[in-house]
Amino acid sequence: MIQVQNLTKRYAGGEAVRGISFSVEKGEVVGFLGPNGAGKSTTMRMLTGYLPATDGQIEVAGAKLPEESLLVRQRIGYMPENVPLYPEMRVEEFLEYRGRLKRVSRGEIQHRVGLVLDQCGLTEVRKKIIGSLSKGFRQRVGLADALVHNPMLLILDEPTAGLDPHQIRSFRELIKELGQDRTILLSTHILSEVEMVCRRAIIINRGKIEASDTLANLEKRVQAGALQIEVKADPASAKQKISGIAEVSSVVELNRAGDWISFEVTAAPGKDIRGEVDGLIKKENWPLREFRREKARLEDVFVELTQD
Amino acid sequence: MTRALWILWKREVGAILHSPIAWVLMTCMALINGFSFSQCVAYLGQGVKEFTVMQIYFYIFHFWFLLIILVPILTMRLFSEEYKTGTIEMLLTAPVLDGDVILSKFFGALFFYLLLWIPSLVGLVIFQSVTHHAVPIAWIPLGFSYLMVTLVGMLYLSIGLFASVLTRNQAVSAMISFTVIALLFFSGFVSYLVKDPGWREALNYIFTLEQMRAFSAGLFDSRPVVFYLSGTVFFLILTRQVMAGRRLNG
Repeated sequence: MIQVQNLTKRYAGGEAVRGISFSVEKGEVVGFLGPNGAGKSTTMRMLTGYLPATDGQIEVAGAKLPEESLLVRQRIGYMPENVPLYPEMRVEEFLEYRGRLKRVSRGEIQHRVGLVLDQCGLTEVRKKIIGSLSKGFRQRVGLADALVHNPMLLILDEPTAGLDPHQIRSFRELIKELGQDRTILLSTHILSEVEMVCRRAIIINRGKIEASDTLANLEKRVQAGALQIEVKADPASAKQKISGIAEVSSVVELNRAGDWISFEVTAAPGKDIRGEVDGLIKKENWPLREFRREKARLEDVFVELTQD
Repeated sequence: MTRALWILWKREVGAILHSPIAWVLMTCMALINGFSFSQCVAYLGQGVKEFTVMQIYFYIFHFWFLLIILVPILTMRLFSEEYKTGTIEMLLTAPVLDGDVILSKFFGALFFYLLLWIPSLVGLVIFQSVTHHAVPIAWIPLGFSYLMVTLVGMLYLSIGLFASVLTRNQAVSAMISFTVIALLFFSGFVSYLVKDPGWREALNYIFTLEQMRAFSAGLFDSRPVVFYLSGTVFFLILTRQVMAGRRLNG
């Protein structure tokens, strides 16, 4: 659905995107992750044909950019960052205008607008002036605009920025639902969003792609989360015995409560030491009251890949 | 007219008519027009017989003053606002050509500009009924006068559109177009001052006031028509180039 080769964008002031290559397959929901200023918006603007690329090949929705720009624009639905809208128009009127502009036929327009109004939960505000709507509703109008011509690909630039927690939750649900029958590329710097909505993430930093993989695989890249245990044992010898396990890289004593002592045990990268630690506890017959592993989070991956 | 151009034009006209500027402009235009027209009538009342009321109207200072001020106010928001609020990105990621966007704004502004001159016609109608049609309306000079109003308007609006694509600040855009339009208008008067006949003829070619005098007397000259039309096309193309250039730099 999206094929990008050696995409570069140079401005007078420097390079925003430096020769990135990636692809998005049909039906995927992909998160485009990166810190602020990493080049996410610039890349998305190039994918939508708004900005011309300095170098590289782009193919979106089966058409090449910049040669077939009109075709690409007709096939994708794009929601720009900050969702710019015409404040003086009414919701329904705006969507009809946008739909007609995106070549929805006169006969079909009422049906399409009705459908996206319903899909995006805008039916109750259809007659309201956009300028008087809350941020959450305006965001929905932006999404309805991206959807009104029934595009095969949705490109959403920071779709939940500036929303309150309730709005974010319902917006994500909406995106999840939309992802069931179309391809979506969404950018964000909020990691939990990607975890909830996407199956794959592309991490970009300073104009370069640092990683592109499924979330599960990305999480394997960093050290699996540490293991926390709390046992009743002699502190010094327990620590020594746990450290003796081959794949353990470090053991840190966290705190003591009476006879109970808790440790944080970290494994070598990519290793699972739960079995060995459990075996040791049983062998030593230590009373045990806590045994849990912190899950490696996307946040750890992100920080590791994008730190300077 | 392409389909996209039609849809964009309708939205442009809608946006102009929804803005407070439009109604303030219309009111002020009607006021100044009425004042100007009554002065023309007063002048005729002194026993002037060489001119019709419309000839005086189109030659009088108020008319030009209004025209030069009006266009920058009308065009300043056309692109500046879209760049400032970011809606330009939404507009240009729809399957429309840059040219359609520019032409829709140009023709939208032109439509409203022509609406603004309707009160002057109303003045004429009242004048005719009050004087019991003492002098019949000279249709051809009248038609030529409004043709000239349209042509001058087209050039000035294209200059205004060009100024608007240069900046996201509406005041800056208005000031730029006002300066260019005023320079263009007043440079015609220099022909009174220069001695060299070649220069005088060259300046006469862009002397809007004299051209208007000829047209309102019913004398058609094709040179101004070519000048205003080609000038309009020139500034519209320039607008398109700047628009493409702005995208190169994000």
